[in-house]
Formats: sequence, C-alpha cells, structure tokens
Amino acid sequence: MKRVNWKAELLTVLVLVLLIGGICGTKYYQKQQEEKKILQEAEKEQKNKVKSVDDLSGKRIGVQIGTTGDIYVSDYEKDGSGTTVERYNKGADAVQALKLGKIDAVVIDEQPALVFVKKNNNLKILDEEFANEDYAICIDKENTALKDKINKALAKIQEDGTLEKIKENYVGSEDVKGKNPYKEKNVERNNGTLTMATNAEFPPYEYYVNDKITGLDVDMMKAVCDELGMALKIEDMAFDSIIAAVDSGKADVGASGMTVTEERLKNIDFSDSYTNAKQVIIVKTSSAAIEKSSFVDKLKDNFITDGRYKYIVRGLGNTLIITVFAVAIGILLGFLIAIIRTSHDRNGGLIVLNGIAKLYLTIVRGTPVLVQLLIIFYVILTSVNNKILVAVIAFGLNSAAYVAEVVRSGIMAVDAGQFEAGRSLGLNYRQTMFSIIIPQAVKNILPALCNEFISLLKETSIAGYIGLVDLTKAGDIIRSSTYEAYIPLITVALIYLAIVIILTTGINYMERSLRKNER
Amino acid sequence: MSDKKNVLLKIDNLQKEYGDHKVLKGITTTISQGEVIAIIGPSGCGKSTFLRSLNLLELPTGGTISFEGTDITDPSVDINVMREKIGMVFQQFNLFPNMTIKENIMLAPVKRKKMTKEEASDKADELLKRIGLSDKADTYPAMLSGGQKQRVAIARALAMNPDVMLFDEPTSALDPEMVGEVLNLMKELAADGMTMVVVTHEMGFAKEVANRVLFINDGNIQEDEIPEELFNNPKNERLKEFLSKVL
Repeated sequence: MKRVNWKAELLTVLVLVLLIGGICGTKYYQKQQEEKKILQEAEKEQKNKVKSVDDLSGKRIGVQIGTTGDIYVSDYEKDGSGTTVERYNKGADAVQALKLGKIDAVVIDEQPALVFVKKNNNLKILDEEFANEDYAICIDKENTALKDKINKALAKIQEDGTLEKIKENYVGSEDVKGKNPYKEKNVERNNGTLTMATNAEFPPYEYYVNDKITGLDVDMMKAVCDELGMALKIEDMAFDSIIAAVDSGKADVGASGMTVTEERLKNIDFSDSYTNAKQVIIVKTSSAAIEKSSFVDKLKDNFITDGRYKYIVRGLGNTLIITVFAVAIGILLGFLIAIIRTSHDRNGGLIVLNGIAKLYLTIVRGTPVLVQLLIIFYVILTSVNNKILVAVIAFGLNSAAYVAEVVRSGIMAVDAGQFEAGRSLGLNYRQTMFSIIIPQAVKNILPALCNEFISLLKETSIAGYIGLVDLTKAGDIIRSSTYEAYIPLITVALIYLAIVIILTTGINYMERSLRKNER
Repeated sequence: MSDKKNVLLKIDNLQKEYGDHKVLKGITTTISQGEVIAIIGPSGCGKSTFLRSLNLLELPTGGTISFEGTDITDPSVDINVMREKIGMVFQQFNLFPNMTIKENIMLAPVKRKKMTKEEASDKADELLKRIGLSDKADTYPAMLSGGQKQRVAIARALAMNPDVMLFDEPTSALDPEMVGEVLNLMKELAADGMTMVVVTHEMGFAKEVANRVLFINDGNIQEDEIPEELFNNPKNERLKEFLSKVL
C-alpha cells in the first residue's frame, strides 16, 4: 500500500516536471519562432512592397471574384511573371487577407477601398489609380423595353440633379456626405415590381445598415423606380451570381457597382452609366501600427453597434427553419425511397419506381450539395423567389437520398424471420412493414440518422450562396462591416456547436429509452 | 383412417426449384382435420421447404396446394386471408422484440380486423393464462427464456384461431431443459383436436403424439405411416439408415 503511494507520488512529480518543462520549452520556442517570423515578414514585406501599378507584376494580388478588378488583374496572371491572383468572395475577405500578410495588395473599387482604409489604420490606398470605369445597371438582353425605360429615367434624374445629390450623399466630400439621404417620392406604383439583384457587401454602393440594404446603388434605383412608377425589391446574393440571376429572370436588373466589360456584354445588356469610379490598390503601410481595441469594445462593435446581433438572430432562425423542414422532407422522401427499393428487392415489382429511385440516388449522391442548391435556385425553380423555400427543397431532396440509404440498410438489418412471422400471421406486406419492420429499423438506424441530420444542419451553411441570410451568412455580414474575423466566426461556430450538442444529447436520451425493452 | 375425416389440405405434385436445384420433386399427400403429422428426414431433404410451402412462405414452382377447398397457389387468391387460418411457429420464435408479450399476441387479430382491441386483449389474457405466462404480459421478449418465447409464439399463432398449425422445428433452438415445456403445450393442443404439421427431430414426440409420420428424403415422401409401423418396421433403406443415426 505504502509502496504504491510512493510510486504514485513519484509519478505525479515526474509528470508535473515534464509538464512545466514542456510548457516553458514551448513558450521559449514560440518566442523564438515569433521573433524569427517578424524578421522574415519584415524581409518579405520589403521584397513584396507594392508602391505603384508597375509593382503588381509578380506579386500576390487579392480581388473580389467577378469584379472588374478581377478581370483586369487576371491579365497579370497570364503574363508569366509569377503573379498570383487570390479571388475572394468579398472585398472584406481580401482586405482581411492583406492585413494578415497573405497577399501583397488588393485591387478594388475606390469607394469601398476608402471605407476599408478608414477602418484600418495600417492600410493605405496608392495615389496612382489602377483603372477608371463606368458603373451601369445590367438588364437582360431580350428586355430592351425595360432598358429604354431605365435609360430615360436615368436621364431624367441626371437632369433634375437627383442623381448628383445621391452621389454626394455617399461619395461626396465630408461636408455633404450623409446629409441628404434619398427620400422616396410619394408616387403611384401601378407598374409592378422591379427586382434588383445586388451584393450588399460593397459599401458605400450597397451594404447592410440595421438589417436593411442601403447605399448609392439602392438610392439610385429607388429614384429610377419613382420615375417608372414601380416598387423596388432588392435581392442580396453573391456578386458572381448577379448576372446569372438577371439572365435567368430571378431579377429584372442588377445594380452592384457593376462595370461594363466585353466579357459581361456577351451575356447581358447594360443601361447608360450612372456614375464612374476608379479601381485602386490597397497595400499595408507598416506592421507596427496595429490598433488594439479591448475585447469588450470589439464585442460591442460586432454585436451591439447598428443592431448587428439581429443578423445572428435572424440567421439562426433561418438556419433552424431550413434544417427542420429539410429534415422533414428528408425523412418522408427518404423512407418512401427506401421502402420502394426494399419492396423491389424483396418482391420484384415496382421496376419503374425503383429505376427512378436509383437514378435519383445516383445523381444526388454523385454531385455536391452546393451545386444542387445553385441548380435548383437558378435553373429549376427560377420562378420561386422564396429563398428559404428553395433552400428547404434543395437540402430536403439532398438529405432524402442519404436518409433513404440509411433506412434501407436499417430495414435490411432486421432479421428476415420478423418479416416471415408477420406474413405468416396473415398481415399483408404493408402492415408487416409498418407495424413490425420499420419500428425496429428506425431503432437500429437512429444514430446514423442523427448523424445525417447533424451534417445537414452544418451543410445549410452554404445557403448564403443564394443570398439567404443563414447563421453563417449572418456572421459574414458582420465580418464585412467590422473587418473582424475572430468574434463573428467563433460566435457562429459556437452556436452550431451548441445546437449539435443539444441534438446529440436528445438523441442519446431517445436511443436509451428505445433500447429499454432489449435487455 | 384419414379418409373418414374432412380433408383440410390437399397437396398435389408440389415442386420447388431454386435455379437448377430441385428441392421438392413432386409431393402429393392430404392432411385431414384433427391429424397430427410429424415430418422427419435428414437435413437438407426439403422437409422445411415443404412445410413453408403450405402457407406460401416459399412459392412453389409447380403443383397445387388446396386449403379448405381453395387452391392457394392461384395468384388471384388473397393469400393473407388464407394465412389467417394457417398458424406457424418458427425455430427461432421470431417474436417482435419491440412489442410486449401481450402486444405480440394482439397484433394480428387487431390488424387483420378479426377482433376489436378489447376482444383481442381478452383473448391474449386467456392464452397467456393457458401457457402459464400471465405475469409476463407486459414484459418484452428479451426478458423471457427460450422455452417461454416459444410458448408465446404458439399463443400468438393461436390468437388468430387457425384451423391448422405448422411447426418448423419448434424445439431445435432450445436448451434441452426447456424442450419439455414446449412439447407439453403441443401435446395439449393435439389433445384438443388441433390439426398440426410438425417438422421435428424429436422422435419421442413423433412416436407419442403424431398419428402419421412422413419421412421425406431427396425431395420426396419416402414413407407415410402410423408411428408404430414407421419406427418399428421401417421399409425404406434410407429411413433405416436415418433412424439408426437418430434413435
């Protein structure tokens, strides 16, 4: 007894020594590494410094995917100078990457660049501009009538000074900025609704304030709609989806700081230009001036300012709605497919239905869920504008395929004797399946089914691709206005984690109570 | 003697093939009301397949089976209605593990609308009393011994008031000390006049309870005799060999 204690003590001391030694060692090593890293970065920065447009060649350049910056910079990529272009889903991500030293420069529209630089004092805009460009509204090529109407309206608001006032309000000098927000006129709106596609992550042209999309483009379109006597509806989506949305009829026009380029003209038509802008280059100034604000300030900025927590609340609500209804579709359709497949395997028959089911499983399980979501939104359900409904259908159809195979394996795992016992008592196939086989199958597959739904919950995080504000997208919206990655992302992750833990606990409890009768 | 009674099952040239493999090669026999028939034979001889054909758990590939005057191999016959009258007991009991003992017994009469819930409940209570397991009514099959499970399985089949009971090696999966309780219940059934067809390895039961024994070998009935004659005076060479091994 005593000897054992003595040994245990020795072991404890040994472990402690190792632990402390390990911690000290790691700390020292980390410190050394940090110093080394700072030196390396300083060197790298010197080498990679972009001071003018000519310096871009051979560097790592960040752009927002599908923007004119992307189109122009892509030429550098092909010139053999070793330039790499990093394409981000939004400007804020590119700026974030620049701050972290992952890229050397960001090519982006001037106005958003000004906002970014204002919020980050270690960034600056190079004096030399990268390119000049005209923004215009994109319209479906077929829809020349609408184009004419919009051009006329644009001419009108240009003439009466409305457009100039809107521009001043957003991109004017400091003394007029923000003073004159556009007020919608009280006109009859008998000419229907005009749906405008935009990417509301592009201040000051379009961005969220208090859960509403606002900005220069939005006010400009409001003024246009006032002229046309139409109601304006705004659809937020990824920038590179806007043209597809207009082309497929999901939206009537696209207004998102969009420049007329040859490439775009192949797919879409443009109105006359309503404003011009510059593409500029953002670079890091020096690594020294990183502003540190306290954690509480950051929390405030991320959640309280402008009521940003509302995005999280709304996003969480949408994520839960999509998951719950998609799970319902998944279960119903999944069971149906599984029953068709097992009936076919057991009795022959149902050849056509089984063929359809098999084809369905092959397609759904053979393609990524994101692609399915985009296809359903842009190709199949083009006339459905309720994005939540589209997401529910897409994720439900996707989930059904996986549920079907899980259920089928569960049905197959029930002893054949159970089926024979049911049939020998005179129960028909359906009665046997529903009162004997499926209850047992469900119990067997509960853990697998639960896993399927947990992954479905997480998969809904791609719903943002069709411009829907789910939990992940909510974090993104906050991220793009606070330029803070840590807090929104960790918050979103923790919320997902909490839901999953709750789900897992619930299912464990259910499983235990279902297993009671098997001991 | 069997021709004096009502014929319940008339089997004519029954055949079953799996691909090229012929399991039943044309079995012809009749089973009359009140008969207790034991089927014996070496393993793989087709005796289980024959029994399972009688309620179409195995679909015959040739021949006919007529039950109470209806040809059940005719696809237009609703086999489920026929099966209500043909009870079956399996080697592996096949109780429904997700239901209580009483629910196991009540399921078929209620689902097949033979009884109301109340009637089925009364019937189940009566059957449980008969098999001496009234105290187990609300427990689940997993809590029972093998012998108790098989008795419940018999009660479950009896709940439908069948005209004939098929037993597929009902004691083969039991521990030896539990065989007796199941055989005793079967003897009681036989004494009550239940028509029974029993595939069995229990030669004692065949001798004592059966009034006919069929020896099936190689897909055919090779002897069909009263037990005393078959066991004491076997004519068929394969039967002699078989009996020398099992007795």
